[in-house]
Amino acid sequence: MKIVKANAGALTNFEVLDFLNSRGASKDTTRVIAPIAISEYKVYDYLLETAASTQTRESVNKFADKCKDFKVAKAEILNIINLRPSSKVDLAPIIEMPDKEKGETRTIDTDGILELVKDLLPPLPTTDETSEDNDEEETENGEQS
Amino acid sequence: MFYLSELEHSLRVPPHLLNLPLEDAIKSVLQNVFLDKVLVDLGLCVSVYDIKSIEGGIVLPGDGAATYKVVFRIVVFRPFVGEVIAAKFKESDTNGLRLTLGFFEDIYVPVPLIPTPNRCEPDPYNRKQMRWVWVFEGQEYIIDDSCQIKFRVEGISYPSVPIERAEDAKPFAPMVITGNIDDDGLGLVSWWDSFDELE
Repeated sequence: MKIVKANAGALTNFEVLDFLNSRGASKDTTRVIAPIAISEYKVYDYLLETAASTQTRESVNKFADKCKDFKVAKAEILNIINLRPSSKVDLAPIIEMPDKEKGETRTIDTDGILELVKDLLPPLPTTDETSEDNDEEETENGEQS
Repeated sequence: MFYLSELEHSLRVPPHLLNLPLEDAIKSVLQNVFLDKVLVDLGLCVSVYDIKSIEGGIVLPGDGAATYKVVFRIVVFRPFVGEVIAAKFKESDTNGLRLTLGFFEDIYVPVPLIPTPNRCEPDPYNRKQMRWVWVFEGQEYIIDDSCQIKFRVEGISYPSVPIERAEDAKPFAPMVITGNIDDDGLGLVSWWDSFDELE
């Protein structure tokens, strides 16, 4: 075995989940039909419990685009997408704050980032079951009319 | 964090896979070889992403199978230092905590990286375990499995396979993550629920 390129691109949790979905992984408990290994299902189960399960490709791309204005590193953007911080204290450990003692003058607009998260990334699945139910009802009504 | 890595590998496609299209056959061999394995300095292989090229198909003398040279991409789990990950509690003892992601269970939080002042006491619910308690402003915060625990990656190591094994040694782990939960916003998620503003 030879490593051609150790890093051929980073993936967000969402992209990995999307990839496993495209291979046929599902929440279905039988899990026999799809050609997915048990170890892959373990990753899948983990990802379903993260914010990745409610994200869409458009929202993630848009978020990554807009985040570039905030002077945060690419790895930090990926980390924000994966964790979806909803408050300042959630965001604080992810982002490396400018060190004033070293004379860094860069400032990070944490409120702006949190605003963007709120606008573009849907909340975690556990806290938002009620609104999902509403969505389903709405589509059902739409089909009937 | 997951990454794509590009690898090249020579592999033998056994004859019982000849009924499959070549790409499917190779993919299934690759999955058997790499899935759920740790490659040193590369991380834990999660899934074969795609196959970029297949070369060869030579039959070695005395062998009943074709050998191909394949270039493919694989999804690996390799957190970077400084990344924050939400994990679940697995166990704790006097040396610190052990956390799990479900698919990866070798995350350790050593004692110096647990918020201080803290103390270690016998777990009243589980006689085999010790539990850690963080004492902050008179409040006691118990570290247990009640909710998710966020940690920051301090380091990743790939220990080499030991030649001799002590009888009471822990099972060998090819990739070990050291985690830190001693910072604002880290540790049990419930600690920070009612804490909106950082001072």
